[in-house]
Amino acid sequence: MNPIDELRAARPAHLGERPVNERTRAAELAYAMSMPRQRRRRWLRAARPVWGLGLAGAVAAATAFAVVLSGTGTPPDGSPAVAIPETPHVTLSARDVLLAAAGRAERQAEGSGGYWHTVSVQRNLFVAKEGGYLVVDEGRSEGWTPRATGGDQWARSRRLGARPATEADRRAWERAGSPSEIEIAVPGKRGTTALPVSGGPATTSHTPLVDGDKVFWLGRNVTMKELRALPHDPGALRTWLMDAYEGHGTESAEEEMPGDVWLFKVAVGLIMDMPVTPEVRGAAFRMLAGLDGVRVTQDVTDAEGRRGTAVSVEERTRVAGVLENRLVFDERTGRALANEYVVVRPAETLPQVEPGALWSSTALIGASWTDDRPTG
Amino acid sequence: MTDDAHRFTRMYDESRQRVWAYVVSRAGRQVADEVVSETFAIAWRRLDDVPEPALPWLLGVARNVLRDNVRAEVRRDALTAELRAWTEGDVADEVAERLGVLRALTVLPEDDREILVLVAWHGLSPKEGAQVVGCSSAAFRVRLHRARKRLERAMEAAEPVTSPIPHVRNLSEEWS
Repeated sequence: MNPIDELRAARPAHLGERPVNERTRAAELAYAMSMPRQRRRRWLRAARPVWGLGLAGAVAAATAFAVVLSGTGTPPDGSPAVAIPETPHVTLSARDVLLAAAGRAERQAEGSGGYWHTVSVQRNLFVAKEGGYLVVDEGRSEGWTPRATGGDQWARSRRLGARPATEADRRAWERAGSPSEIEIAVPGKRGTTALPVSGGPATTSHTPLVDGDKVFWLGRNVTMKELRALPHDPGALRTWLMDAYEGHGTESAEEEMPGDVWLFKVAVGLIMDMPVTPEVRGAAFRMLAGLDGVRVTQDVTDAEGRRGTAVSVEERTRVAGVLENRLVFDERTGRALANEYVVVRPAETLPQVEPGALWSSTALIGASWTDDRPTG
Repeated sequence: MTDDAHRFTRMYDESRQRVWAYVVSRAGRQVADEVVSETFAIAWRRLDDVPEPALPWLLGVARNVLRDNVRAEVRRDALTAELRAWTEGDVADEVAERLGVLRALTVLPEDDREILVLVAWHGLSPKEGAQVVGCSSAAFRVRLHRARKRLERAMEAAEPVTSPIPHVRNLSEEWS
Protein backbone atom coordinates (compact mmCIF):
# COMPACT_ATOMS: atom_id res chain seq x y z
CA MET A 1 0.00 0.00 0.00
CA ASN A 2 1.08 3.53 -0.77
CA PRO A 3 2.38 5.11 2.48
CA ILE A 4 0.05 8.05 2.00
CA ASP A 5 -2.93 5.69 1.78
CA GLU A 6 -1.75 3.84 4.86
CA LEU A 7 -1.44 7.12 6.68
CA ARG A 8 -4.91 8.12 5.51
CA ALA A 9 -6.31 4.87 6.87
CA ALA A 10 -4.65 5.50 10.22
CA ARG A 11 -6.32 8.84 10.71
CA PRO A 12 -7.85 8.97 14.20
CA ALA A 13 -11.62 8.80 13.97
CA HIS A 14 -12.26 12.00 15.88
CA LEU A 15 -10.37 14.02 13.30
CA GLY A 16 -13.10 13.21 10.79
CA GLU A 17 -16.13 15.35 10.09
CA ARG A 18 -18.25 15.81 13.15
CA PRO A 19 -20.72 18.53 14.02
CA VAL A 20 -19.34 21.13 16.36
CA ASN A 21 -20.87 21.36 19.82
CA GLU A 22 -23.62 23.99 19.70
CA ARG A 23 -22.41 25.79 22.79
CA THR A 24 -18.87 25.98 21.43
CA ARG A 25 -20.21 27.19 18.11
CA ALA A 26 -22.23 30.00 19.70
CA ALA A 27 -19.32 31.09 21.88
CA GLU A 28 -16.78 31.07 19.07
CA LEU A 29 -19.00 32.94 16.64
CA ALA A 30 -19.80 35.55 19.28
CA TYR A 31 -16.14 35.94 20.22
CA ALA A 32 -15.00 36.31 16.61
CA MET A 33 -17.69 38.80 15.68
CA SER A 34 -16.97 40.92 18.75
CA MET A 35 -13.64 41.78 17.13
CA PRO A 36 -13.39 45.06 15.25
CA ARG A 37 -13.35 44.57 11.51
CA GLN A 38 -10.23 45.58 9.66
CA ARG A 39 -11.56 47.15 6.51
CA ARG A 40 -9.30 46.62 3.59
CA ARG A 41 -10.39 49.94 2.13
CA ARG A 42 -9.15 51.76 5.17
CA TRP A 43 -5.65 50.51 4.61
CA LEU A 44 -4.26 53.94 5.37
CA ARG A 45 -5.15 53.30 8.98
CA ALA A 46 -4.02 49.71 8.93
CA ALA A 47 -1.25 50.64 11.35
CA ARG A 48 -3.95 50.91 14.00
CA PRO A 49 -4.08 47.74 16.07
CA VAL A 50 -6.99 45.64 14.95
CA TRP A 51 -8.22 44.88 18.44
CA GLY A 52 -9.29 48.40 19.12
CA LEU A 53 -8.47 52.00 18.84
CA GLY A 54 -4.95 52.58 19.89
CA LEU A 55 -3.60 55.67 21.84
CA ALA A 56 -0.95 58.16 22.85
CA GLY A 57 0.13 60.16 25.88
CA ALA A 58 -1.93 62.43 28.05
CA VAL A 59 -3.84 65.20 26.37
CA ALA A 60 -1.82 68.29 26.97
CA ALA A 61 -4.34 70.87 25.92
CA ALA A 62 -6.74 72.39 28.34
CA THR A 63 -10.16 72.87 26.85
CA ALA A 64 -10.86 76.55 26.69
CA PHE A 65 -14.36 76.26 25.40
CA ALA A 66 -16.78 73.45 24.90
CA VAL A 67 -20.35 73.50 23.71
CA VAL A 68 -22.76 70.71 23.13
CA LEU A 69 -24.98 70.83 20.10
CA SER A 70 -28.08 69.30 21.56
CA GLY A 71 -30.69 68.14 19.13
CA THR A 72 -34.45 67.94 19.32
CA GLY A 73 -35.08 67.19 22.97
CA THR A 74 -37.49 67.97 25.71
CA PRO A 75 -37.27 71.67 26.39
CA PRO A 76 -36.04 72.69 29.85
CA ASP A 77 -39.49 73.67 31.10
CA GLY A 78 -40.82 70.20 30.44
CA SER A 79 -43.45 71.24 27.90
CA PRO A 80 -44.35 68.51 25.37
CA ALA A 81 -41.61 67.72 22.89
CA VAL A 82 -44.10 67.85 20.02
CA ALA A 83 -44.14 71.61 20.41
CA ILE A 84 -40.55 71.66 19.22
CA PRO A 85 -40.22 71.65 15.46
CA GLU A 86 -37.44 69.92 13.50
CA THR A 87 -35.05 72.83 13.98
CA PRO A 88 -32.45 71.62 16.46
CA HIS A 89 -31.86 73.58 19.63
CA VAL A 90 -28.31 74.60 18.97
CA THR A 91 -25.75 76.70 20.75
CA LEU A 92 -24.94 79.02 17.94
CA SER A 93 -21.27 79.49 18.57
CA ALA A 94 -20.52 75.78 18.18
CA ARG A 95 -22.68 75.47 15.10
CA ASP A 96 -21.11 78.62 13.71
CA VAL A 97 -17.64 77.21 14.17
CA LEU A 98 -18.54 74.24 11.98
CA LEU A 99 -20.32 76.36 9.38
CA ALA A 100 -17.34 78.68 9.20
CA ALA A 101 -15.04 75.69 8.76
CA ALA A 102 -17.34 74.50 5.96
CA GLY A 103 -16.94 77.83 4.18
CA ARG A 104 -13.16 77.73 4.53
CA ALA A 105 -12.93 74.10 3.41
CA GLU A 106 -14.94 74.88 0.28
CA ARG A 107 -12.45 77.54 -0.77
CA GLN A 108 -9.38 75.32 -0.53
CA ALA A 109 -7.52 74.74 -3.79
CA GLU A 110 -7.57 71.17 -5.05
CA GLY A 111 -4.31 70.65 -6.92
CA SER A 112 -3.90 67.97 -9.53
CA GLY A 113 -2.06 64.74 -10.23
CA GLY A 114 -2.52 61.08 -10.97
CA TYR A 115 -2.29 59.95 -7.32
CA TRP A 116 -3.90 61.00 -4.08
CA HIS A 117 -1.02 61.01 -1.61
CA THR A 118 -1.49 61.01 2.16
CA VAL A 119 1.00 60.96 5.01
CA SER A 120 0.00 60.28 8.59
CA VAL A 121 1.50 59.39 11.95
CA GLN A 122 -0.33 56.89 14.15
CA ARG A 123 0.02 56.70 17.90
CA ASN A 124 -1.52 54.04 20.09
CA LEU A 125 -1.51 53.64 23.86
CA PHE A 126 -0.71 50.33 25.50
CA VAL A 127 -0.15 49.03 29.01
CA ALA A 128 3.19 47.33 29.68
CA LYS A 129 2.78 43.80 30.95
CA GLU A 130 5.58 44.17 33.49
CA GLY A 131 5.19 47.28 35.61
CA GLY A 132 1.84 48.41 34.25
CA TYR A 133 3.19 51.70 32.87
CA LEU A 134 1.78 53.27 29.71
CA VAL A 135 3.52 53.01 26.37
CA VAL A 136 2.92 54.97 23.17
CA ASP A 137 3.68 53.10 19.97
CA GLU A 138 4.26 55.24 16.90
CA GLY A 139 4.17 54.52 13.21
CA ARG A 140 4.17 56.55 10.03
CA SER A 141 2.29 55.59 6.92
CA GLU A 142 1.90 56.94 3.44
CA GLY A 143 -0.59 56.01 0.76
CA TRP A 144 -0.87 56.65 -2.95
CA THR A 145 -4.27 56.02 -4.51
CA PRO A 146 -4.58 56.22 -8.30
CA ARG A 147 -7.09 58.60 -9.81
CA ALA A 148 -7.61 56.22 -12.73
CA THR A 149 -8.82 52.65 -12.45
CA GLY A 150 -6.55 49.80 -13.41
CA GLY A 151 -3.57 51.01 -11.39
CA ASP A 152 -2.31 49.85 -8.02
CA GLN A 153 -2.72 51.43 -4.63
CA TRP A 154 0.70 51.98 -3.02
CA ALA A 155 1.56 52.11 0.64
CA ARG A 156 4.69 52.78 2.64
CA SER A 157 4.90 52.33 6.36
CA ARG A 158 7.56 52.59 9.00
CA ARG A 159 7.56 51.81 12.69
CA LEU A 160 8.83 54.79 14.64
CA GLY A 161 9.12 52.84 17.87
CA ALA A 162 7.53 52.66 21.31
CA ARG A 163 8.21 54.99 24.23
CA PRO A 164 6.89 55.48 27.76
CA ALA A 165 3.88 57.82 27.65
CA THR A 166 4.84 60.28 30.40
CA GLU A 167 7.82 61.11 32.66
CA ALA A 168 6.34 58.89 35.38
CA ASP A 169 5.97 56.10 32.85
CA ARG A 170 9.58 56.62 31.79
CA ARG A 171 10.73 56.16 35.37
CA ALA A 172 8.66 52.98 35.62
CA TRP A 173 10.22 51.77 32.37
CA GLU A 174 13.70 52.46 33.76
CA ARG A 175 12.84 50.61 36.96
CA ALA A 176 11.87 47.69 34.75
CA GLY A 177 15.43 47.73 33.37
CA SER A 178 14.79 49.97 30.33
CA PRO A 179 13.84 47.03 28.11
CA SER A 180 14.50 47.58 24.41
CA GLU A 181 11.34 45.63 23.68
CA ILE A 182 8.33 46.38 25.84
CA GLU A 183 5.93 43.51 26.33
CA ILE A 184 2.32 44.57 26.29
CA ALA A 185 -0.85 42.72 27.10
CA VAL A 186 -3.39 42.69 24.32
CA PRO A 187 -7.01 42.24 25.34
CA GLY A 188 -8.55 39.04 24.06
CA LYS A 189 -5.32 37.75 22.60
CA ARG A 190 -3.25 34.87 23.87
CA GLY A 191 0.29 35.58 24.83
CA THR A 192 1.99 38.93 24.52
CA THR A 193 3.27 41.24 21.86
CA ALA A 194 6.59 43.03 22.23
CA LEU A 195 6.97 46.59 20.97
CA PRO A 196 10.56 47.53 20.06
CA VAL A 197 11.68 50.89 21.44
CA SER A 198 13.62 51.56 18.27
CA GLY A 199 12.07 52.24 14.90
CA GLY A 200 12.22 50.03 11.84
CA PRO A 201 12.91 50.36 8.14
CA ALA A 202 10.23 51.62 5.74
CA THR A 203 8.41 48.96 3.79
CA THR A 204 6.66 49.67 0.52
CA SER A 205 3.88 47.59 -0.94
CA HIS A 206 1.29 47.86 -3.66
CA THR A 207 -1.95 46.07 -4.31
CA PRO A 208 -4.49 46.13 -7.14
CA LEU A 209 -7.69 48.02 -6.42
CA VAL A 210 -10.44 45.90 -4.89
CA ASP A 211 -12.85 44.80 -7.63
CA GLY A 212 -10.56 46.71 -9.96
CA ASP A 213 -11.96 50.12 -8.98
CA LYS A 214 -12.75 50.50 -5.25
CA VAL A 215 -10.42 52.92 -3.50
CA PHE A 216 -11.75 53.80 -0.05
CA TRP A 217 -14.21 52.71 2.56
CA LEU A 218 -16.97 55.21 3.20
CA GLY A 219 -19.57 53.12 4.98
CA ARG A 220 -19.15 50.88 1.94
CA ASN A 221 -16.41 50.40 -0.62
CA VAL A 222 -16.43 53.27 -3.08
CA THR A 223 -14.75 54.04 -6.39
CA MET A 224 -12.81 57.23 -7.12
CA LYS A 225 -15.63 58.21 -9.47
CA GLU A 226 -18.21 57.85 -6.69
CA LEU A 227 -16.03 59.82 -4.27
CA ARG A 228 -15.64 62.62 -6.78
CA ALA A 229 -19.39 62.71 -7.46
CA LEU A 230 -20.69 62.86 -3.87
CA PRO A 231 -23.54 65.36 -3.30
CA HIS A 232 -22.62 68.96 -2.37
CA ASP A 233 -25.79 69.36 -0.34
CA PRO A 234 -25.42 68.36 3.34
CA GLY A 235 -28.85 66.70 3.43
CA ALA A 236 -28.24 64.75 0.25
CA LEU A 237 -24.77 63.76 1.46
CA ARG A 238 -26.24 62.51 4.72
CA THR A 239 -28.81 60.42 2.84
CA TRP A 240 -26.14 59.00 0.55
CA LEU A 241 -23.90 58.01 3.46
CA MET A 242 -26.73 56.68 5.66
CA ASP A 243 -27.72 54.25 2.90
CA ALA A 244 -24.94 51.98 4.12
CA TYR A 245 -25.87 52.19 7.83
CA GLU A 246 -27.14 48.94 9.31
CA GLY A 247 -27.51 49.79 12.96
CA HIS A 248 -24.11 48.61 14.07
CA GLY A 249 -20.57 49.91 14.30
CA THR A 250 -18.16 50.45 11.46
CA GLU A 251 -15.84 47.77 12.79
CA SER A 252 -18.13 45.13 14.22
CA ALA A 253 -21.63 43.83 13.53
CA GLU A 254 -21.94 42.90 17.20
CA GLU A 255 -21.55 46.39 18.53
CA GLU A 256 -24.63 48.55 18.15
CA MET A 257 -23.98 52.12 17.14
CA PRO A 258 -26.48 54.99 16.96
CA GLY A 259 -26.91 56.47 13.48
CA ASP A 260 -25.38 59.82 14.35
CA VAL A 261 -22.28 58.27 15.90
CA TRP A 262 -21.90 56.09 12.82
CA LEU A 263 -22.42 59.01 10.47
CA PHE A 264 -19.89 61.07 12.42
CA LYS A 265 -17.27 58.32 12.11
CA VAL A 266 -17.80 57.93 8.39
CA ALA A 267 -17.85 61.70 7.79
CA VAL A 268 -14.60 62.14 9.75
CA GLY A 269 -12.91 59.63 7.42
CA LEU A 270 -14.16 61.63 4.46
CA ILE A 271 -12.99 64.98 5.83
CA MET A 272 -9.65 63.63 7.06
CA ASP A 273 -7.95 62.24 4.05
CA MET A 274 -10.21 61.27 1.18
CA PRO A 275 -9.87 62.85 -2.25
CA VAL A 276 -13.29 64.50 -2.29
CA THR A 277 -13.90 67.92 -3.85
CA PRO A 278 -13.66 71.01 -1.58
CA GLU A 279 -17.44 71.43 -1.93
CA VAL A 280 -18.06 67.94 -0.53
CA ARG A 281 -15.68 68.54 2.35
CA GLY A 282 -17.64 71.70 3.08
CA ALA A 283 -20.93 69.79 2.90
CA ALA A 284 -19.54 67.24 5.38
CA PHE A 285 -18.77 70.02 7.90
CA ARG A 286 -22.31 71.41 7.41
CA MET A 287 -23.70 67.94 7.96
CA LEU A 288 -21.75 67.62 11.24
CA ALA A 289 -23.22 70.94 12.35
CA GLY A 290 -26.67 69.35 12.08
CA LEU A 291 -25.92 66.21 14.11
CA ASP A 292 -27.26 65.60 17.61
CA GLY A 293 -24.80 65.39 20.49
CA VAL A 294 -21.85 66.70 18.54
CA ARG A 295 -19.47 68.74 20.66
CA VAL A 296 -17.09 71.47 19.58
CA THR A 297 -14.01 72.26 21.64
CA GLN A 298 -11.68 75.07 20.70
CA ASP A 299 -8.02 75.42 21.51
CA VAL A 300 -7.00 71.77 21.67
CA THR A 301 -3.59 70.32 20.77
CA ASP A 302 -3.20 67.23 18.66
CA ALA A 303 -0.58 64.51 19.20
CA GLU A 304 1.79 66.39 16.89
CA GLY A 305 1.52 69.45 19.14
CA ARG A 306 -0.55 71.47 16.66
CA ARG A 307 -3.31 73.78 17.90
CA GLY A 308 -6.77 73.35 16.48
CA THR A 309 -10.47 72.95 17.12
CA ALA A 310 -12.10 69.62 17.81
CA VAL A 311 -15.52 68.37 16.80
CA SER A 312 -16.40 65.17 18.63
CA VAL A 313 -18.91 62.55 19.73
CA GLU A 314 -18.74 59.95 22.48
CA GLU A 315 -18.34 56.33 21.52
CA ARG A 316 -18.83 53.29 23.69
CA THR A 317 -16.21 50.62 22.91
CA ARG A 318 -15.80 47.12 24.21
CA VAL A 319 -12.06 47.24 24.66
CA ALA A 320 -11.34 50.72 25.97
CA GLY A 321 -14.59 51.94 27.54
CA VAL A 322 -16.17 55.29 26.65
CA LEU A 323 -14.00 57.32 24.28
CA GLU A 324 -14.37 60.71 22.69
CA ASN A 325 -13.88 60.42 18.95
CA ARG A 326 -12.63 63.79 17.82
CA LEU A 327 -11.65 65.38 14.57
CA VAL A 328 -9.12 68.14 15.16
CA PHE A 329 -9.11 70.73 12.41
CA ASP A 330 -7.69 74.11 11.60
CA GLU A 331 -10.50 76.68 11.75
CA ARG A 332 -8.70 79.06 9.43
CA THR A 333 -8.52 76.55 6.56
CA GLY A 334 -11.14 73.91 7.32
CA ARG A 335 -8.38 71.34 6.97
CA ALA A 336 -8.16 68.24 9.15
CA LEU A 337 -5.21 67.87 11.50
CA ALA A 338 -5.96 64.61 13.31
CA ASN A 339 -8.53 62.02 14.23
CA GLU A 340 -8.08 61.08 17.86
CA TYR A 341 -9.73 59.03 20.59
CA VAL A 342 -9.58 60.48 24.09
CA VAL A 343 -10.50 58.37 27.10
CA VAL A 344 -13.66 59.55 28.85
CA ARG A 345 -14.35 56.54 31.10
CA PRO A 346 -11.76 53.77 30.80
CA ALA A 347 -12.86 50.14 30.71
CA GLU A 348 -12.55 48.25 34.01
CA THR A 349 -9.77 46.19 32.48
CA LEU A 350 -7.66 49.33 32.08
CA PRO A 351 -7.16 50.68 35.62
CA GLN A 352 -3.86 52.30 34.60
CA VAL A 353 -5.50 54.53 32.01
CA GLU A 354 -6.97 57.79 33.23
CA PRO A 355 -9.75 59.91 31.76
CA GLY A 356 -8.23 62.44 29.39
CA ALA A 357 -5.53 60.09 28.13
CA LEU A 358 -5.11 59.90 24.39
CA TRP A 359 -6.04 56.35 23.46
CA SER A 360 -5.16 56.66 19.79
CA SER A 361 -4.31 59.30 17.28
CA THR A 362 -3.92 59.50 13.54
CA ALA A 363 -2.27 62.81 12.76
CA LEU A 364 -2.49 63.91 9.16
CA ILE A 365 0.83 65.28 7.95
CA GLY A 366 -0.26 65.86 4.38
CA ALA A 367 -2.91 64.98 1.80
CA SER A 368 -2.62 66.16 -1.79
CA TRP A 369 -2.62 65.15 -5.43
CA THR A 370 0.73 64.24 -6.96
CA ASP A 371 2.19 62.55 -10.01
CA ASP A 372 4.97 60.89 -8.04
CA ARG A 373 4.64 57.52 -6.43
CA PRO A 374 7.14 55.00 -5.08
CA THR A 375 8.74 52.65 -7.56
CA GLY A 376 9.05 49.10 -6.31
CA MET B 1 -27.97 39.43 10.18
CA THR B 2 -25.73 41.36 7.81
CA ASP B 3 -24.25 39.87 4.65
CA ASP B 4 -20.86 39.76 6.31
CA ALA B 5 -22.19 37.93 9.34
CA HIS B 6 -23.96 35.45 7.03
CA ARG B 7 -20.85 34.83 5.01
CA PHE B 8 -18.75 34.43 8.11
CA THR B 9 -21.18 32.02 9.78
CA ARG B 10 -21.35 29.92 6.62
CA MET B 11 -17.56 29.83 6.41
CA TYR B 12 -17.37 28.89 10.07
CA ASP B 13 -19.86 26.04 9.67
CA GLU B 14 -18.06 24.71 6.62
CA SER B 15 -14.55 24.85 8.00
CA ARG B 16 -14.54 24.91 11.78
CA GLN B 17 -14.10 21.20 12.37
CA ARG B 18 -11.46 20.91 9.67
CA VAL B 19 -9.45 23.72 11.21
CA TRP B 20 -9.86 22.05 14.58
CA ALA B 21 -8.67 18.70 13.19
CA TYR B 22 -5.64 20.41 11.67
CA VAL B 23 -4.69 22.05 14.97
CA VAL B 24 -5.18 18.77 16.85
CA SER B 25 -2.89 17.01 14.39
CA ARG B 26 -0.24 19.68 14.97
CA ALA B 27 -0.49 20.29 18.70
CA GLY B 28 -3.13 18.11 20.32
CA ARG B 29 -6.56 18.75 21.69
CA GLN B 30 -5.65 20.81 24.73
CA VAL B 31 -4.84 23.98 22.86
CA ALA B 32 -7.09 23.30 19.85
CA ASP B 33 -10.23 25.16 20.87
CA GLU B 34 -8.30 28.24 21.83
CA VAL B 35 -6.31 28.28 18.60
CA VAL B 36 -9.46 27.68 16.54
CA SER B 37 -11.24 30.50 18.35
CA GLU B 38 -8.39 32.90 17.69
CA THR B 39 -8.16 31.79 14.05
CA PHE B 40 -11.81 32.61 13.39
CA ALA B 41 -11.50 35.90 15.26
CA ILE B 42 -8.73 36.83 12.82
CA ALA B 43 -10.87 35.60 9.92
CA TRP B 44 -13.69 37.90 11.01
CA ARG B 45 -11.41 40.90 11.38
CA ARG B 46 -9.95 40.26 7.96
CA LEU B 47 -13.10 39.02 6.26
CA ASP B 48 -12.48 41.35 3.34
CA ASP B 49 -9.24 39.50 2.63
CA VAL B 50 -10.47 35.93 3.03
CA PRO B 51 -10.43 34.11 -0.32
CA GLU B 52 -12.85 31.45 -1.55
CA PRO B 53 -12.40 28.61 -0.84
CA ALA B 54 -11.36 29.71 2.63
CA LEU B 55 -9.95 26.50 4.06
CA PRO B 56 -6.28 26.75 2.97
CA TRP B 57 -6.21 30.38 4.11
CA LEU B 58 -7.77 29.45 7.46
CA LEU B 59 -5.28 26.62 8.00
CA GLY B 60 -2.46 29.05 7.22
CA VAL B 61 -3.80 31.46 9.85
CA ALA B 62 -4.18 28.64 12.39
CA ARG B 63 -0.60 27.62 11.65
CA ASN B 64 0.61 31.16 12.45
CA VAL B 65 -1.50 31.36 15.60
CA LEU B 66 0.03 28.08 16.76
CA ARG B 67 3.54 29.21 15.98
CA ASP B 68 3.11 32.58 17.68
CA ASN B 69 1.26 31.43 20.77
CA VAL B 70 2.23 27.87 21.57
CA ARG B 71 5.90 27.10 22.08
CA ALA B 72 7.39 24.22 20.10
CA GLU B 73 8.00 22.08 23.17
CA VAL B 74 4.44 22.64 24.37
CA ARG B 75 3.17 21.61 20.94
CA ARG B 76 5.30 18.48 21.11
CA ASP B 77 4.14 17.53 24.61
CA ALA B 78 0.53 18.14 23.68
CA LEU B 79 0.86 15.98 20.60
CA THR B 80 2.44 13.21 22.68
CA ALA B 81 -0.58 13.24 24.96
CA GLU B 82 -2.79 13.27 21.91
CA LEU B 83 -1.05 10.23 20.45
CA ARG B 84 -1.70 8.33 23.61
CA ALA B 85 -5.38 9.11 23.24
CA TRP B 86 -5.38 8.08 19.58
CA THR B 87 -4.09 4.64 20.39
CA GLU B 88 -6.30 3.89 23.35
CA GLY B 89 -9.64 2.20 23.05
CA ASP B 90 -8.99 0.83 19.59
CA VAL B 91 -9.74 -2.71 18.51
CA ALA B 92 -6.58 -4.69 19.20
CA ASP B 93 -6.05 -5.99 15.66
CA GLU B 94 -6.03 -2.58 14.13
CA VAL B 95 -3.81 -1.09 16.77
CA ALA B 96 -0.55 -2.57 15.65
CA GLU B 97 -0.91 -1.54 12.04
CA ARG B 98 -2.14 1.94 12.80
CA LEU B 99 0.48 2.44 15.44
CA GLY B 100 3.16 1.47 13.00
CA VAL B 101 2.19 4.31 10.69
CA LEU B 102 1.59 6.74 13.50
CA ARG B 103 4.87 5.94 15.13
CA ALA B 104 6.66 6.39 11.84
CA LEU B 105 4.86 9.69 11.47
CA THR B 106 5.95 10.89 14.86
CA VAL B 107 9.63 10.22 14.38
CA LEU B 108 9.68 12.41 11.27
CA PRO B 109 10.73 16.05 11.43
CA GLU B 110 7.80 18.39 12.11
CA ASP B 111 7.93 19.82 8.57
CA ASP B 112 7.54 16.39 7.01
CA ARG B 113 4.76 15.44 9.37
CA GLU B 114 2.86 18.60 8.63
CA ILE B 115 2.95 18.11 4.87
CA LEU B 116 1.96 14.45 5.04
CA VAL B 117 -0.92 15.16 7.36
CA LEU B 118 -2.22 18.05 5.24
CA VAL B 119 -2.45 15.73 2.26
CA ALA B 120 -3.45 12.43 3.87
CA TRP B 121 -5.75 13.58 6.66
CA HIS B 122 -7.04 16.92 5.53
CA GLY B 123 -7.35 16.01 1.86
CA LEU B 124 -5.54 19.09 0.54
CA SER B 125 -4.14 19.23 -2.97
CA PRO B 126 -0.47 20.23 -3.31
CA LYS B 127 -1.67 23.64 -4.47
CA GLU B 128 -3.82 24.12 -1.36
CA GLY B 129 -1.13 22.69 0.90
CA ALA B 130 1.36 25.13 -0.59
CA GLN B 131 -0.97 27.98 0.41
CA VAL B 132 -1.05 26.75 3.99
CA VAL B 133 2.69 26.43 4.50
CA GLY B 134 3.53 29.41 2.32
CA CYS B 135 5.58 27.94 -0.52
CA SER B 136 5.08 27.30 -4.24
CA SER B 137 3.09 24.29 -5.46
CA ALA B 138 6.24 22.93 -7.06
CA ALA B 139 8.21 23.21 -3.83
CA PHE B 140 5.34 21.58 -1.97
CA ARG B 141 5.37 18.61 -4.36
CA VAL B 142 9.10 18.15 -3.87
CA ARG B 143 8.75 18.33 -0.10
CA LEU B 144 5.82 15.92 -0.17
CA HIS B 145 7.82 13.46 -2.25
CA ARG B 146 10.75 13.58 0.18
CA ALA B 147 8.50 13.38 3.22
CA ARG B 148 6.78 10.34 1.74
CA LYS B 149 10.13 8.62 1.21
CA ARG B 150 11.14 9.32 4.77
CA LEU B 151 7.80 8.06 6.04
CA GLU B 152 8.28 4.86 4.07
CA ARG B 153 11.74 4.34 5.53
CA ALA B 154 10.50 5.04 9.03
CA MET B 155 7.70 2.52 8.59
CA GLU B 156 10.16 -0.13 7.44
CA ALA B 157 12.42 0.57 10.35
CA ALA B 158 9.63 0.37 12.88
CA GLU B 159 9.46 -2.82 14.86
CA PRO B 160 6.23 -4.75 15.13
CA VAL B 161 4.13 -3.26 17.82
CA THR B 162 2.38 -5.33 20.42
CA SER B 163 1.38 -2.90 23.08
CA PRO B 164 0.42 0.67 22.35
CA ILE B 165 1.01 2.25 25.72
CA PRO B 166 4.70 1.59 26.28
CA HIS B 167 5.26 2.39 22.70
CA VAL B 168 3.89 5.85 23.07
CA ARG B 169 5.96 6.32 26.21
CA ASN B 170 8.98 5.54 24.12
CA LEU B 171 7.90 8.14 21.67
CA SER B 172 7.60 10.77 24.30
CA GLU B 173 11.10 9.95 25.49
CA GLU B 174 12.44 10.25 22.01
CA TRP B 175 10.88 13.65 21.73
CA SER B 176 11.99 15.09 25.00
